[in-house]
Amino acid sequence: MKIGEKVVSYFESSDSPVDKEGYLFKKGDIRPSYHKRWFVLKGNLLFYKDHPDDRDLIGVIVLEGCTVQLCESEEQFAFSLVWSELGLRPYKFAAEDQAGQESWIKALLSANHGYLSLLVMDLEKKYKETLEALFIDPANGGATPNADRQLSPQLSTLTRNSAGAVAAGPIPSSITTLKTPAAPLKSTVRRSPKLWPKRTANVTPITGPCPPTGDWSAVCSGNWEEFSKLHDDFGKEVKDLIADWSRSKRTSQVTLNENLIDLSGFE
Amino acid sequence: MFLTTPLDTVVVVFSVGNDRGCGECAAVVLNSKLLRSVMRFNEKEMVHLSRQPSEMVAELGMRGPKKGDVVKRRLVKLVVNFLFYFKTDEEEPIGALLLEQCRVEKEDNLTFTIAFLEDAERKYLFVCDSEEQCGKWIDSIIRASYEFMRRNLIFYRTEIHRLTGKDPLEQYGISDEARFQVTNGLQHTPRDASSM
Repeated sequence: MKIGEKVVSYFESSDSPVDKEGYLFKKGDIRPSYHKRWFVLKGNLLFYKDHPDDRDLIGVIVLEGCTVQLCESEEQFAFSLVWSELGLRPYKFAAEDQAGQESWIKALLSANHGYLSLLVMDLEKKYKETLEALFIDPANGGATPNADRQLSPQLSTLTRNSAGAVAAGPIPSSITTLKTPAAPLKSTVRRSPKLWPKRTANVTPITGPCPPTGDWSAVCSGNWEEFSKLHDDFGKEVKDLIADWSRSKRTSQVTLNENLIDLSGFE
Repeated sequence: MFLTTPLDTVVVVFSVGNDRGCGECAAVVLNSKLLRSVMRFNEKEMVHLSRQPSEMVAELGMRGPKKGDVVKRRLVKLVVNFLFYFKTDEEEPIGALLLEQCRVEKEDNLTFTIAFLEDAERKYLFVCDSEEQCGKWIDSIIRASYEFMRRNLIFYRTEIHRLTGKDPLEQYGISDEARFQVTNGLQHTPRDASSM
């Protein structure tokens, strides 16, 4: 079977990232002695040559279908690549020290194509879940279990960075608990998002761009310097609400021994 | 005649005769590195790999990269980042192409090429039975590359970190691995959150 040697060689010498490289002793294919070689691990390919600067490769080992094991050997810090198929003999190596042995074993164990493939699929899924959690309104769309965990101060950075294109739909109510900017800045009347009329969630398709909507774009065009002002405005709003509530409570109560809030200023 | 040579050289001695029967000796010294020009690879394991199940297996027309190569019917099989090709009824593949550092292009509705970057002329050509099949093969080959997967991983890692403030690789204990590093310092630090 031919392997397209030039292509393999080219890949080794190219600028593509090297996952690990270093000297290892490799047990000969025919003779039992160990030879010191320079190994380069890129993806699922383990290349080897005499010296790091050599242009010519001695060989390559494709790391698919194998596992890595510590092995019995006269050599110290030995390990081997083992295939499960009958008739495929192990490849034996020895590192120069224990740290080398450990790091090589670790690197070789996760070098196979399937490992990276699964990892990428996992992250792709997490990425999509993150987007969904950020742009679906739980008030309309039902509980999004990831919402609380995923939201962060980065949210406003996200919406500001998407040059003009902003998140669709009203802000999930959980965001307000994190005190991110949530009230329109343009108008003189600052209303908390809880008072906004509910509307159907404009769910952003994961792959599509975020369509802009009126109120939201006003909210998100705010900047950090104004946040403390927003915070104060919110605070005032909350105080006003407490005041209204206390007033109405007072009229219905016969006696009030202790009042934690000093309402005299609000009369 | 005595010659001393370093251990990695091969000496070939032959005699050059003339019509009078007297020989003269000539010696040709070859560096053994020339003899080691064929790169070794774990062929048995590769044959074993070529037998693994794959979603992308089909009979396609295939033409090699050399001048004078013609289109031949081959069984083409994509396994991890290798494209194996077999003569239709044979168990062992004729060869394997490593799908890294290569460019896959659509040639026309039924045809695509794979060019290996070391030589833009070194193109393999494949002829499919339908446009849909052609598109599927192009897509699958691009996605099979280890380098393509690595770039995707770095993208998702960066984005998730940017959106959530958390590095998704931390839970697996692999955040520090060199191969997953965000290459141009794109790891976003959160904006100043002191006002929070």
